[in-house]
Order: sequence, then structure tokens, then C-alpha cells
Amino acid sequence: MAAKQAIQVGTKNVRPVLSIDRGEAKARVLNLYKAWYRQIPYVVKEYDMPKSEDQCRAKLKELFLKNKDVTDVRVIDMLVIKGQMELKETVNMWKQKGHIMAYFKPTEEPKPKDFLSKFFSSNE
Amino acid sequence: MGLAVAPNPHHTLGALYGKILRTLNKMPESAAYRKYTEQIVRERAAVLQQTKDTYELESKINCGQAEELIIQAENELNLARKMLTWKPWEPLVAKPPKGQWDWPPAKA
Amino acid sequence: MQRVATKTDEAAPQVETRPTVAKVDPLQKSQLVEFGKYVAECLPKYVQKVQLTAGNELEILIPSEGVIPILQFLKDHHNAQFASLADIAGMDVPSRPNRFEIIYNLLSLRYNARIRVKTYTDELTPVDSACDVFKAANWYEREIWDMYGVFFANHPDLRRILTDYGFEGHPFRKDFPLSGYVEVRYDDEQKRVVVEPLELAQEFRRFELSAPWEQFPNFRGNPAAEEVTDATDVKKDQ
Repeated sequence: MAAKQAIQVGTKNVRPVLSIDRGEAKARVLNLYKAWYRQIPYVVKEYDMPKSEDQCRAKLKELFLKNKDVTDVRVIDMLVIKGQMELKETVNMWKQKGHIMAYFKPTEEPKPKDFLSKFFSSNE
Repeated sequence: MGLAVAPNPHHTLGALYGKILRTLNKMPESAAYRKYTEQIVRERAAVLQQTKDTYELESKINCGQAEELIIQAENELNLARKMLTWKPWEPLVAKPPKGQWDWPPAKA
Repeated sequence: MQRVATKTDEAAPQVETRPTVAKVDPLQKSQLVEFGKYVAECLPKYVQKVQLTAGNELEILIPSEGVIPILQFLKDHHNAQFASLADIAGMDVPSRPNRFEIIYNLLSLRYNARIRVKTYTDELTPVDSACDVFKAANWYEREIWDMYGVFFANHPDLRRILTDYGFEGHPFRKDFPLSGYVEVRYDDEQKRVVVEPLELAQEFRRFELSAPWEQFPNFRGNPAAEEVTDATDVKKDQ
């Protein structure tokens, strides 16, 4: 059983979450990505999203690439577990439209970058 | 009680105690779990031999009704079988890191 | 029974030196100590330490490998029969090597006794799920997963139970700010509820990590628990 074996992280031996090496973790990430990718048409339809499938795919890619620098196998596993749970919540329609649209953050205003706009936003 | 009346508690208990003792025999002699469980089961089995009356059996063992005694024996058998794979008589599997159980915790 | 008040009764009022402290029942205490030693003797592989807190609360401290064997033993053994899982609690102490503590409270209806099993883990080390031993563990473990982010291996249905879908973070962690990271409001233009990051002024972002008891040096000096057995100490002596 995979869980019984210990994996090496840094210098110490630890109990793995799911995967025992990077290859396995990578396979899990790709599987999760594919599962989400295939689900997108149904999500767009069933949640009546005001977004196109292409926009959703771009968002999916963006969210996955946000964690592209994670190297610890166990952290990757934890992220995959959370991603799987979220997929399940989406597929089973436990979420509502607002939960799905929260990924796109439509109401968030871009942070002021240059001096003048910072000044204006602070004086509101 | 929501338990169905056991038709022949003497027979069931006798069989279960026999099974427990046979399972315990596979453990090392020095294991404390084996020692104590053998003691309990032998005591109960001895009472079982002494009397044919279920009420007397219950009052002598003094740990609930015969049906409950059967459940207890089933649980113990289940536990003993699992113990064979866990081997809890071995030395401590992992020491706690220093300060792990300190309370109140050291100031960070 | 009739009793007539005499002068001596009035003259010698009982001097209470520690009026709010519950009385310790010596018989119950000795039984608990004995049972603690019994558990440590039966399962030396998994019991790190046995202690008594608050005078009559028996605690078994174990590594996370021993959760299933210890709970199964306490549930099924003739002399224990802790058949009821009252609660599973989590605790976060960031200064410890393994910051999370998982605490199982058990009740033996047969012997009218309670026992507490404590184990430890960190953010990434999974703990074995107790669902196979106690059905009741299912929701409690989901709560701990939700609140602390401790992963339970082989849990039949591990998912959020208290937080909203899409919620990120684990609110009971000590580094989780009191106000959270996001705020949720109804947006009139979007015609639905939106989630927005919370903007906090700097002066409100002070996280109090010290607990109230740290102000009482007396408390810090007195150990809260009486030791019954300590497997790690025995090793040192030999």
C-alpha cells in the first residue's frame, strides 16, 4: 500500500499524503485538470454562466498555473485533494452560480499602481 | 434492550471464548495484552463451566446480560485478531519531538 | 435524620482554603491511574505518555500511527468498553514541532468512565481516520479537516462541513485572522452574492498569539497534568 511507504522531503522521511514521488503527484494534477476541463461545458450550461467555455478554460489554466512553482509532493497532493473536493461540489450542484462566478472576481477593482491613482483612491 | 434474545448463550459464549484464546495463543507469551485478556476470558469461561443457568451466569460475571456478554466477546475476538497485525507489544513506534506535550506551551 | 444545631457547630465554621476547586475522589483517581498504567502496559508500542489532568481526567498521549489501535482497544477490550465517541477536538499550537493536536473524548457507559486520547500532527501529515472504529468520527473529522486542514487518510467522505463552498483557508488555525481574508456581500449590478478580498487598516492586523494564561506566572510554574507513566522516560533510565 502506498500510504505505508515513507517519502523523502528535504532531509527527513515523512508519511505521504497520497503520492510517493513527483511523477505520481504530477499524474494526479493532470488527471484533475482533465476532469475539470471536461466538466466545463456542463458547468457553463447548468449554472447558466455569463461566460463562454473558452473564458472558463482560460480561468482554469490560470488557476492551475498559479501553483506551478509548488515543488513539495505533499503540498501538491493537498492542493489536488482540495481541487477534487471543489470539483465534486461543482459537479453535484452543491455550489451556486455565485460560488462559481467567484473565480472570476467581477467586482474586484484593480489595485492602484501609480502614485496619482493611489492618491485618488485613498481620498475617496 | 434492543438486543434479540440469544437462543443458546452458553454455546455461543463457549465458542467465542475458545476462539479468543486460540487467537491469543499466536501472540508472544510476554505480551501484556495477551496475559490480561487470557485472564479475563479464562475467568468468564470458568463461570460458564460452573453453571447452566443463564441468570446465574449473568450475576456471577456481573457485566450485563448474556447477550451483552456475547457482544463483548465478539468485540474482543475482533480486537485480538487485529492485534496480531498491529503487534502492540513491540517497543514504542515514535518518540514525541521535544516540547510536543508541554503545557502551557513554550512562548514562541 | 434530625439534627439539632449546637453551639460548637456555629463556633467552628469550615475553613475553605480553595473554595472553587472541585474535590478529588481518591478512589476514582486511583482507578484512573491504574487503568492508565494498564493501557500503557497493554500497548507499549503506541502509548507515549499517560497523564491525569484536573484531578480526574485521564489522558493517553500517542503518536498519530497509534490512533486506530488505541481507539479499537479502548472500544473493544473487556476492561475498557469505551463504546461511545463523545467528541473529536482539534487544537493549534504554532510553537510546537507538530502544531496540531487531535483530541478524542471517549465515554464508557459500562464503567461510567471517560478517557481522552491525544495525538499530534502537522499541516501535511495525514492522520488515519477513526471512521472504521467509530461511525461517529465521520462528521467530527470533517469538522477538523474544515477548521484546521488536517487530512484524514481513508475517510469515506472527507469534504467541507461548516464553511461555504469556495471558502479558502482553515479558520481555527492561529494564523487565520479574526476577520478572515474575504468579505461576502450582495451586489446589485451582478444580481448575486460576490466575494471580495477584505481591506484592513494596518492597526487592525495585529494578531494576538499569546493566550490569557500567559499573564499568570503561577499557572506557568505549575504543571497542569500529573504524570502517570511516561514511556520516553523509562527508556532514558535503562
